Order: sequence, then structure tokens, then C-alpha cells
Amino acid sequence: MEFSSTRALDSLDLSVPPGVTGLVGANGAGKTTLISLLLGLLRPTAGELSVLGLDPGRQGPELRARIGYGPERNVFPDDLRAYDFVRHLAEVKGLPRDEARSRASDSLYLVGLGEERFRALGTMSTGQRQRVKLAQAIAADPRLIVLDEPTDGLDPVQRDEMLNIIVQVHRDFGIDVMLSSHVLEEVERVCDHVVALDEGRLVAQGAMDELAGASGGVELELVETADRPGAVDRVAARLRDAGLNVQHNGVVLTIGGRDDDELFDLACVAVAGAGARLRRLGQRRRSLDDLFAGGEPDAPLDAAGAVMSGTRPEHR
Amino acid sequence: MTAAGRGDATIAARGFQRYEGPRSGVAGAIRSVTWQSVRSTLGLGRPARHKVFPIAAVAIAYVPAIVFVGLAVLLPEDIIDPNDVASYSDYYGFITLAIVLFAALVAPEVLVSDRRNGMLAMYLSTPLSRRTYLAAKALAVAIALGLVTLGPPLLVLIGYTVDGSGPDGLGSWLLNLGRVVVAAVAVSAALTSVSMAASSLTDRRAFASIGIVLVLFTSPALAEALINGGGLSPYWRVIDLFAMPFELVARIYGDPGGYPELEWWAVLLANVVWTALGLAVVAWRYSRLVIAR
Repeated sequence: MEFSSTRALDSLDLSVPPGVTGLVGANGAGKTTLISLLLGLLRPTAGELSVLGLDPGRQGPELRARIGYGPERNVFPDDLRAYDFVRHLAEVKGLPRDEARSRASDSLYLVGLGEERFRALGTMSTGQRQRVKLAQAIAADPRLIVLDEPTDGLDPVQRDEMLNIIVQVHRDFGIDVMLSSHVLEEVERVCDHVVALDEGRLVAQGAMDELAGASGGVELELVETADRPGAVDRVAARLRDAGLNVQHNGVVLTIGGRDDDELFDLACVAVAGAGARLRRLGQRRRSLDDLFAGGEPDAPLDAAGAVMSGTRPEHR
Repeated sequence: MTAAGRGDATIAARGFQRYEGPRSGVAGAIRSVTWQSVRSTLGLGRPARHKVFPIAAVAIAYVPAIVFVGLAVLLPEDIIDPNDVASYSDYYGFITLAIVLFAALVAPEVLVSDRRNGMLAMYLSTPLSRRTYLAAKALAVAIALGLVTLGPPLLVLIGYTVDGSGPDGLGSWLLNLGRVVVAAVAVSAALTSVSMAASSLTDRRAFASIGIVLVLFTSPALAEALINGGGLSPYWRVIDLFAMPFELVARIYGDPGGYPELEWWAVLLANVVWTALGLAVVAWRYSRLVIAR
């Protein structure tokens, strides 16, 4: 996809299966451009695109009737009531008037705004507006909803609630979801699949449990206390003496080079022997953040056949 | 007291469900956006402050019609013949200002608001395309303008007919009805086009409204300067955006109008060209519009 002065997306070749898919990348990575292409609002300069079996370029109206879209912008007609907003957009997407009315209420109840549905949008908080955007996206019963930064501007509690609703929409009603985000941990939490973009290029795609999750090795987090100075270094030295690969990052040690069960045993012995205090001991997990950072030399990212490069998006 | 039927009672917890019924497609989307835009323009479903101006403009447009019909009903025909008070084409002369002000209100409300409040991006994620969206909006502006261009003359026709002062015979009545409708469509089309063009060029409703009024009120002065000051052909009158729609109305009713030196085809062509030009500006502007999502 090329604009007059910018190549927004380049050499993108991807296939997204049903489920909850996260579209991740830093600001300017091309997420919104990809969404616009999926909705048939932009045409690719070259290449082919198929969404729900339809060509967005030639069958845009038919396709968009089956997709619910929640834009990133939080701008609404302030004097319109939430119920009227959702009902109207459901009608525009082709629902009969009576059906649009009842489904507007149903979807607002589903997102937790049942009691607030007759409030003007201009009086609603950012969190409530994000929920209204989700409600209007699902009200016309789409097969797919595309949400652009659905947790933008939300506090942690609101973000958890929003993510839970998104998961519920897929789990209970079978509506596939694509959500774009630059917050990797929330994508890790709710998505089955990931598409990662960086500067318009695909840097990873695949199932979440292949791209992130248990990755071999053990991670232990120690407690540095004044009465036991150098404890962390002593643990690291003991582990190295045992012939293990050790990465030392502050109070966190990541060890590899043996079977995980053996690593756990050796870690416990080293901590006890060094007189250190242990805060956390567990299997080493690879996060999407690691993928954007370029992965670990001893843990090649061959599970999903993904090629990783580029800058890392914000992690908060 | 019996408990008959209690055993059949169920609690219907409907909740959110899948919808497998028919969908109305692009035509339904246009219909819905048009209707919502007309409602919004008139302040329906909105706080009271949004109703004041549209109600005032509509009321001003209907006042002469109500007065004429009232005179026809209250005064005997030998004292005053209602048709002598004002002809149908003359009627527009009483409400020109109301029509222009209403046009300056409607199009900015219909077009500019969507760009500012995010609704344009929302609409374009539905079955609507830019073209069908603009069709819905043009229809909405024309319908809203129809309230002041069609309603009042229609009220006069119906009032005179009920009073027995109306056109004699079914043929004459239908001819008048046709003229009322065609004249209203012509005025609405021209003003829809011009006001939408002005509204497509700015993101501020006030600027759009001022622009519409300025274009409509300065073009007569420009035409006058060119013809009388510059000694150019009287056909330069066709650049008078304020006069041409109402001149066409006069010709539709078979009256000579305010500028009898112009042939009817020139008046018709001027209206067609201005309407097409205005719509072309809107289409061009929206084809290049970058929509924030």
C-alpha cells in the first residue's frame, strides 16, 4: 500500500484464522492502514486481499455490512444519546428498525452500559465511550469486529474489563475479533493469534502460544537485601559453576542449558547455598516484547516460522 | 382468584443474540442516514437549543401561506380574490430570505458536523461508500429544504382548493400541483448543491453558513456590476446564484420573471450548471478528504 510520499505497507503476506487476533506494532507501523484495507476503505497499490471470502475493493459495502468497526478516535456527536448512536449505526448496517432498537439496548447492556444507555455521549467518560464504540461494533451482529486501540485512554481496571468483554464477545457469540494495540501485554493476554507490523512490514504472525509463552529455561527473581550483599552475584556464579548458561539482568537470572526439571533443582540449590532470598521461580516465558526486541540467541524463534526485526512498540 | 396460566409463564431473558434475518443493504443505509440527518437538522432528538433556529426558519416560511389561506377562508371572494394577493410564483418572493437562511443552516449541519464529530469515519465503515454517503446527505439537505420550498406553496394550493378558490378543474389543479413540485425541486436542488459545496470546503459550521450567505448575496452584486457597470451582455445574469433558482420558478409558472430579457433555456441551463458544479465540488472535495479514524 503506497501513498504519494510514503509506502505504508510493504510485502505483506499474511493469513489470519478465526479467533481473537492482535494486530501489534508501534505508532506508524501501518496498523490503521491495514485496517482500512481490510474494510475496503483503501485499495492496495498492488496485491490481493480477501476478508471473510470477499474482495474488499470490489465488495466493500457487502463486506462492511458483516464487519463491526471501532475506530481509534474517541470523537462522537456529543448531544446524541448512546442508545440512539448504537441504534442508528445498526440500522445503517442493514438491520430493520425494530431489530436495531432491541439490539442497541442488548449490546449496551452487554458492555455494561445498560443503565447509562440514555445518557448523551458528550457526558460520558473515556471508558464509557470506549464501551459505546464496542457496543456499536457488535450491535449489527457482525461476523468480525475490528477494534483500533480499544483500550486507549483506559485505566488498568477499565482495561481489564474491556478486554474481558472482548473475549466474551468471541467466546459466547462466536464473533471473530481483530484488535490493534501497541500494548503488547494486553494482546498476549486475550489474543489467540498475532500479526506484528513494523514500519509497514510484517515482522511476525502466528499463534500466540507459538510466538509467546514457555520458551525453555528457568527464570528466578531474587531479593537484594542489605544484610546479604552480593547474594545475586553469588547465585549467578554458582549456576555458572554448575555449567549453566546464565543471563543476569538486575535481580532476575535466566538460566538454560539443561532440562527444565534439572534447572529448577539446580536453581534451588544455588539460592540456598548462596544464602539468597528468592521472590519468584518459574519457567522462562517469552513475551511479544522479546520478539520485538529481537529474541534470544539461545532461543531461536523458529516455532512459528516468524522473522523478527525492527523497533519495539510501547510496553506499559 | 385463580392461578390459571401460572404454570405456562416463562421469564424471557433475551439478552444479546445472533441475528440471522434480512439486511437492507446500501439502500437501507442511505435511507437511515438521510432520515437521521433530517432529524438532526431539525433538532429532533436533540437539546432544545438545536430546535430554535430551524423551527423559526420553517415558521417564517409558512407564515405567508397561513395568512393567504386565512384571508381566502375569512374574506368573501367579492372583497378579495386570493389569487390576486399573490400568485404561486410570487409566493417565493415572500419567503426567499427564510429559504436562504435555512439553506445556510441545513447543509453545514448535515455535512460539516459529520467531519468534526467522527460520524463520517463511522459511516464509511458501514455499507456506505463516499459516493453513497454523499447521496444520502444530498437527499437529506434537499428534503429539509423541501420543508420550506415545497411545504408552503403546497399548503396554499390545498388551502385554496378546500376554500374553493383553487385552480378550476382537475387538469388545472394537477398542472398547478406539478408546477409546485417541480419549482420546489428546482430551488432545493440548486440551493442544496451550492450550500453543500460551501460546506465541503471548511470544517467550521459558522464559516460554511457565512460562506453560503455571502455567495448567494454577493453574486447578484457581481452580476449587476458586470452588466450595468461593465456593459456586458444581460446573459451574465446567469452568475447570479441568488436570483436564478427563483427566476426558474417564475418560468415554471409561465411568468416572465424578474429578468425577461433572458430566454427560458438560459435560466434552465444556469440552474443545471450551477447545480452540477456545486455537486462536482463536493465530490472532488470528498474524494481527496483524508479521514481520521
